Amino acid sequence: MDNLGFVAGASAIGAGLAMIAGLGPGIGEGYCGGKAVEAIGRQPEASGAITKQMIIGDALAETTGIYSLVVALLLMFANPFTGMTGIAK
Amino acid sequence: MMTPELILMAEESAAKTFTVEGPLRSIPLPFLKDIFGEENACISESIVSQWVVMIILAVLFFILGRNLKLKPEGKRQVIAEWIVGFFSGYVEESMGTRYKRSYGPYIGALFCFCILSCLMGLFGLRNPTADISVTGAWAIITFILVLYTKIKTGGFKGYMKSFIEPMPFMLPFNIIGDFANPISQAMRLFGNNLSGIVIGGLIYYALGSFAIAVPAVLSLYFDLFSAVIQSYIFVTLTMSYVIMADADA
Repeated sequence: MDNLGFVAGASAIGAGLAMIAGLGPGIGEGYCGGKAVEAIGRQPEASGAITKQMIIGDALAETTGIYSLVVALLLMFANPFTGMTGIAK
Repeated sequence: MMTPELILMAEESAAKTFTVEGPLRSIPLPFLKDIFGEENACISESIVSQWVVMIILAVLFFILGRNLKLKPEGKRQVIAEWIVGFFSGYVEESMGTRYKRSYGPYIGALFCFCILSCLMGLFGLRNPTADISVTGAWAIITFILVLYTKIKTGGFKGYMKSFIEPMPFMLPFNIIGDFANPISQAMRLFGNNLSGIVIGGLIYYALGSFAIAVPAVLSLYFDLFSAVIQSYIFVTLTMSYVIMADADA
């Protein structure tokens, strides 16, 4: 079998699988936004502070998603496995 | 944003080969060979667009900050005072009065540089923030500021002691936690900007010659909204990391 083709195909599947990790941050940010809306509903005068905290919380929840994105991007653009086939990229 | 010429150009490039631009694009500079003796000397596009950003900001703030009077006379000085007041108020609100004078200029400069860098994609240049070395450098500055604040407020002994708190077995977790902050900060800005570029490229490829209006809507999210939010998050996280490192606070 063509080694480079196999590695490229497996990397593409891997990049797709890595992005499944986007589920977690999505759920987390959804909770974060929902709770923020609840809090603003209860205390509309504190909406500025709540929004600020919500954005920071969103950013922290997003971290794992960003890591998976970086793994996917590595597999797409800077694949470390193509060197193993012995063929230059 | 999406002029017909741009759409045509995108169609042409999508039709030839499927190329989503990778993390780095370089411009070869053959004349550097004579100076440095380096065979394949090149300069990355993020450096070029960073210089463009720097020139824009330098000219803008030079014009804004010229001929200041004690009583503002024109609109120019009012705008300049509003910008400075906005950033020092923002720093004061997040970090307290003690840091207002020392961190206001840095946070303001970082935010202006960051947001203009994120918006550079709209002007046809590549976002400098879609390059890990750019965002990494900013995150390293934050890391150094955190280290400086920790040692200044808690002393070197206190800094060393903070690694074994609350329990000595927490040492490896504390060390990892210290280094995870700048990495995640750099990756967040980089990942958000590069994912915008990659998804934009995929959309252009998928739509082919029908790439009208849809990429513009996506560009509104990925270029404008994401740029503003991510710059805001970057400076807010910088301030909260520094204030968390302060032992006196």
